[in-house]
Amino acid sequence: MSDTAHDEARRLAEGARDRVRFEEEALDLADQVYSVARHLSGSKEEAEDLVQDTYARAFRSWRSFTPGTNLRAWLMRILTNLNIDRGRRKQRSPDTQPLEEGDYYLYNRLSDALPETNAQEDQVLRRLSQNDAVDALSAVPHDFRDVVVLVDIGDFSYQDAAQILDIPIGTVMSRLHRGRRILKKELADTVVGDGQSGGGE
Amino acid sequence: MILQVDDPCDKCEQMLQPFLDRVLTDEERQAAELHLQSCSYCRARYRFEEKLRMFVRQASVETMDPQLKLKLAALRTPL
Repeated sequence: MSDTAHDEARRLAEGARDRVRFEEEALDLADQVYSVARHLSGSKEEAEDLVQDTYARAFRSWRSFTPGTNLRAWLMRILTNLNIDRGRRKQRSPDTQPLEEGDYYLYNRLSDALPETNAQEDQVLRRLSQNDAVDALSAVPHDFRDVVVLVDIGDFSYQDAAQILDIPIGTVMSRLHRGRRILKKELADTVVGDGQSGGGE
Repeated sequence: MILQVDDPCDKCEQMLQPFLDRVLTDEERQAAELHLQSCSYCRARYRFEEKLRMFVRQASVETMDPQLKLKLAALRTPL
């Protein structure tokens, strides 16, 4: 074999090896990617389609990933773009909507509904079930939910979330704060009933 | 009538999220900690928030169908 043919063969072998490594690393993250996808989309089926499309695209365009950077965030960026492409959200984000319960709202509502005057956080928390949390999350409007899911469930930094969603970091922070408050309001309404209509059990 | 513009618990409530996210400045964090030391009302709500976040995170873990995992592996480029 000539030198150039030899180099060429070696380059091909290295390329194949890099690709295999990339694919394996990506697949190792599939559980985490799915978990986030499940909360970004409306149903299990949608989440499964979304994850499949994400991996198909990731495997096709693996060369555009820079080794040593955050692969999980890279995959998540593909996923959120696909999710938006699917037209799941054309609604304008309700940024200016006045509703705003404070950050103590859920605790206050839950502890008010407890008979003891001296309710401990643990007892208050025990009023919530896993389904309550999942349902409340799905009731948060998309723009806010995306950020809450990425940061609070996916454990992405503000910076990562900003890059994944292609929005400024300040927007990540404001949506996150707002989204968490909406989540708590939803939880309170689910568990105690919505406001005036004589809650408590 | 007293206008409570500067209620310390309201202030503390506003610092709850940035406090737990660890994005407060040193001064702000110290102010919050100082208030928390003397205020069981806010302390209980901070502790609750911390636990709530953990709870939501744990409650949200979804396991993937093993079939899906196989489908993803099948998307790999054949060698």
